[in-house]
Amino acid sequence: MMVDRGGSRRQYITIAAAEPDGTTCEVQISFDRMQTVGRRSFGHARECAFIVPLILQHPTAIFSGLRRDEDEDYRGFGWRCYCGIPEHSYRPDGSEARPCPNQVYLVFVNDEKVAYNWRWEQADPNDPTLPMDYETRFRQRLL
Amino acid sequence: MTVTSNEEFAKRMMLLAKPAEPFRPTVTYDPDGDSIEFLAKPDSFYAQRVDDLVTVYYSQETDEVIGSFIKGVSKFCKLLLEKMPGFRIEIRDGRVSLEHIFRASLWFSHFAPEDLPTLTYQKLIDIAEETEAEAELSLS
Repeated sequence: MMVDRGGSRRQYITIAAAEPDGTTCEVQISFDRMQTVGRRSFGHARECAFIVPLILQHPTAIFSGLRRDEDEDYRGFGWRCYCGIPEHSYRPDGSEARPCPNQVYLVFVNDEKVAYNWRWEQADPNDPTLPMDYETRFRQRLL
Repeated sequence: MTVTSNEEFAKRMMLLAKPAEPFRPTVTYDPDGDSIEFLAKPDSFYAQRVDDLVTVYYSQETDEVIGSFIKGVSKFCKLLLEKMPGFRIEIRDGRVSLEHIFRASLWFSHFAPEDLPTLTYQKLIDIAEETEAEAELSLS
């Protein structure tokens, strides 16, 4: 279902996401963002179509507070990063490949529960299920 | 709000999959993330933080720099106005070359010329220049 958010002309699609306590919540993705991703490559489109919901619903970790310099940026509060390792990665032509070695997939969600960015990042050498520098770049680990 | 099933979401996303041929570099401002995303090639990528402002995208296939993610754009614009009021002259019809944003960020930083982040910034500046990448900015 497409929804308009108050005060915004952007349209959003709502999907389910995990809460740290085991319940579920709703996360939105803007139609504009989906269109932008869809114009890039079939691989980018498939990442959004299949990996993003998977990471949101079955994360191995959830972090909150995305900014390092908390005194300078109030926007870090309530922002989340969902982390996981999907079963596949996708080549630019959309074909499946093995997950990228030593990398994790991150989905970033703002304080209004909108997923605004998603991507592969290098994993932490000491815990390959978590992103590099996870101990210092986030304020809190929720899951 | 009705939650869309994963199957329906995937179906809708794939209906939007219409890659441009040939691929054209894109710069997109996203109000939800208050961020600017720049992609010069359609490769799959992985990301690495350069500093609090810029994250660089590397191609999964070639490891070359192919794009970037700039976050906290509003705050950065405010800082630009305060510290470099002359930056306004680089904005034409609300658009500014991405290379100027990278350069401004680099000038604010404390990186030495030989530091890896400086080299990464230089690479981003080169790519932004080559692709004539521009972002829409509202410096009010």
